[in-house]
Amino acid sequence: METQLIFPAALFPATLSERARRCQSLEPPPRPPRGTAPRCKGGGQLLGTARRLLSWESLKGPRTFSQSQLTFPTGCSMKGLLILSVLLGAVLASEDFVGHQVLRISVADEAQVQKVTELEELEHLQLDFWRGPAQPGSPIDVRVPFPSIQAVKVFLEAHGIEYTIMIEDVQSLLDEEREQMFAFQARAASTDTFNYATYHTLEEIYGFMDLLVAEHPQLVSKLQIGNTYEGRPIYVLKFSTGGNNRPAIWIDTGIHSREWVTQASGVWFAKKITQDYGQDPAFTSILDNMDIFLEIVTNPDGFAFTHSKNRLWRKTRSITAGSSCVGVDPNRNWDAGFGLAGASSNPCSETYHGKFANSEVEVKSIVDFVKNHGNIKAFISIHSYSQLLLYPYGYTTESAADQAELDQLAESAVKALSSLYGTKFKYGSIIKAIYRASGGTIDWTYNQGIKYSYTFELRDTGRYGFLLPASQIIPTAQETWLALQTIMEHTLNHPY
Amino acid sequence: MRPYFFESRYRQLQAWAIPAPRQPAASMQPRQQPLSEPGPRGRRPVAPLLALLLLLALQRTGAAPAGPGESEKPGDNQEAYETAYEDYDYGLPSEFELPPWFSNLKTPGGPLLPEGILRQGALAAVHFLNFREGSPSDLQMLSTVYRASVWETAEKEQHVDVAFTTERFKPEGDKEKPLAECAARVIFRKGKPRPAVNIYCEGLAEKNKRQEDYLLYKHLKQLKPLLGVVHIPDRNGYIDPSLRPLWDLAALGSSYVMWDKTTNVLRYSLVQLTSVKQWKTDGEIDFDYTVQLHEFSTQEIIPCRIHLVWYPGKPLKVKYRCQETPGQASEVEEGSGGMVLTELTNN
Repeated sequence: METQLIFPAALFPATLSERARRCQSLEPPPRPPRGTAPRCKGGGQLLGTARRLLSWESLKGPRTFSQSQLTFPTGCSMKGLLILSVLLGAVLASEDFVGHQVLRISVADEAQVQKVTELEELEHLQLDFWRGPAQPGSPIDVRVPFPSIQAVKVFLEAHGIEYTIMIEDVQSLLDEEREQMFAFQARAASTDTFNYATYHTLEEIYGFMDLLVAEHPQLVSKLQIGNTYEGRPIYVLKFSTGGNNRPAIWIDTGIHSREWVTQASGVWFAKKITQDYGQDPAFTSILDNMDIFLEIVTNPDGFAFTHSKNRLWRKTRSITAGSSCVGVDPNRNWDAGFGLAGASSNPCSETYHGKFANSEVEVKSIVDFVKNHGNIKAFISIHSYSQLLLYPYGYTTESAADQAELDQLAESAVKALSSLYGTKFKYGSIIKAIYRASGGTIDWTYNQGIKYSYTFELRDTGRYGFLLPASQIIPTAQETWLALQTIMEHTLNHPY
Repeated sequence: MRPYFFESRYRQLQAWAIPAPRQPAASMQPRQQPLSEPGPRGRRPVAPLLALLLLLALQRTGAAPAGPGESEKPGDNQEAYETAYEDYDYGLPSEFELPPWFSNLKTPGGPLLPEGILRQGALAAVHFLNFREGSPSDLQMLSTVYRASVWETAEKEQHVDVAFTTERFKPEGDKEKPLAECAARVIFRKGKPRPAVNIYCEGLAEKNKRQEDYLLYKHLKQLKPLLGVVHIPDRNGYIDPSLRPLWDLAALGSSYVMWDKTTNVLRYSLVQLTSVKQWKTDGEIDFDYTVQLHEFSTQEIIPCRIHLVWYPGKPLKVKYRCQETPGQASEVEEGSGGMVLTELTNN
């Protein structure tokens, strides 16, 4: 993945960057004679706009991003560079583009060109022509401030001039691009400079995975096990020191997208594995004999949705035919007690189990992977919150056959976990320790013969719940890792 | 520290002004409402005449309660369940003495009620405690449940005696969080919300609380009204320190709502303050806002519109309305205002 820091003007398609490219001089050029291509018309307007913006009282000044990172397309003078960056700063700082629209006007003949030119003269409309009127056939792009929209549209329609709305709301576009830009800057160059103490977007996490693989090609590889409902790739990191289909440990985080501390911990685990291998004797022994599969974002569609629209989204984003509600609870969709008490048949419910088991591609991908692999010995699914370590079953009060061993191992794991920061965890079967839940992940994996099937519920117990402060990510990951190691060691030492 | 004791609103159903000496419970069949309000020591004298009348009435019916715990305990013909819920390495706080009405059932055999019921009870008790304490600067959080007994009566009431510790809702930084120790009896009528709660706590500091409340009040008066959509805490769990008092006050109002909604299977946590509809600070603080609650076993996010009036030292006045339809809340985009609450139920 390229990590060059291009001037974000590249992110502003066809608008500001185009204008920048056209900027040859700062003096407003004379109106070009009819028939010639516009030269720096955009630039002149650019300066005009800059002047206008600079005089707005709402100007807050440029943002604090480093302006030295800005590189410009060639052809602009230094002064132009300065003005443009100020403009950009002003544009980004000012929040006054709410409701502004960019219209693309198609003029059919000279008379219409003339009419639009007249529009240009009306200062009070505060129109900002990005592509000025030139000749018939050349589209005219104009940014119209919200108060003037009606007037302009009425004018155009009254004169039979066709137009389309290119940008519905300039402000939201700017907001989006600003976010991208800052995300761009936040992108680390290596996993050593990656910020583990903050929450990341899907793109950042996928970028992190690529970095990790690039840095440790002998140890880490990235597998794609499928595509989400909305078409995003589903990735699993494989940590292996060789062998052929070695007994393996599976860890997944983020199956419920709003449980952000879990994906964040998953990222930390990935890095931890690469750090500890070869350094920590106990862990090295684990990885010398077993493989580890780590799925950090198990529900990418849901995760993207928690960033874009609803921070508290839990389910997948699949559309349910016949319902206006979206999404299936991926932890009720597995083929273990599917549809029994402990899940909902209402598509609008947060625990909707779906139309049938494995209906969700995010679940099916893992099912197929596990079946094809055939040699997974421990399966750990990580959730938040409640501070619990759980083993099967959730769909029945019947005890798991290996209840005693699972319980004892859970006790050791929880003890290890709390040894670090004193965090108290409880443990038990799902139905006893939390609530009845059917169609759950580890009930299925256990029934498949994966004995060491566990679900974690990480911090906290309700003070912040899903909105766990980022400052707790690393402590949470650190303590959880101790519990995971306990389980992994036990799995290694008790082959079956 | 002076122990605190609060009883829930079913005050008119109480029966004891002073703890009576223990008597064998064999012949006593527990009744419903009159026995829902045991009265351990330290109870604030409220309507003693009423209590006396009730006491007389009960004696006439032959179901005179001996002590709060005794006659409520299951007799021989009743099924009793115990879940001695002992915490693993963290023993009982040594100085805390369980009140005499706290039952200590040890009935071998019999099915165990799901341990969830203990958490329901403890959490309901904490929410109720917060509401009745009325102190936004001293809100408590459930810390550790270390002892409990639970049993079901013939009338399908689930009685939970639970002993637990609480810690302060407001994080104290790196300092060791002070713990209060509480014992509560929570009675759930199956499927119905608003359990009866009697709670007894030690370790809640009164003096500081009053002072802090007043400081918080002054801070809130200076807060510029920020009407509209807010997100406190934000998506990363961050709360601006200057807005912390607002969050605390919102949490106080939410405590009432959460207690009022808790049933034997549903319990709640507060997620986020999502909008401020109204904010008035002349004299009392008049605060109209929306929060999102997390309904635990269904995993639903429930938006609730709450309207409270608060003044330090005075009891909290609160009304609320929650969106009841499951799942639709999760479809509402943040701040999109898809919910219109024009009526508020009067509580």
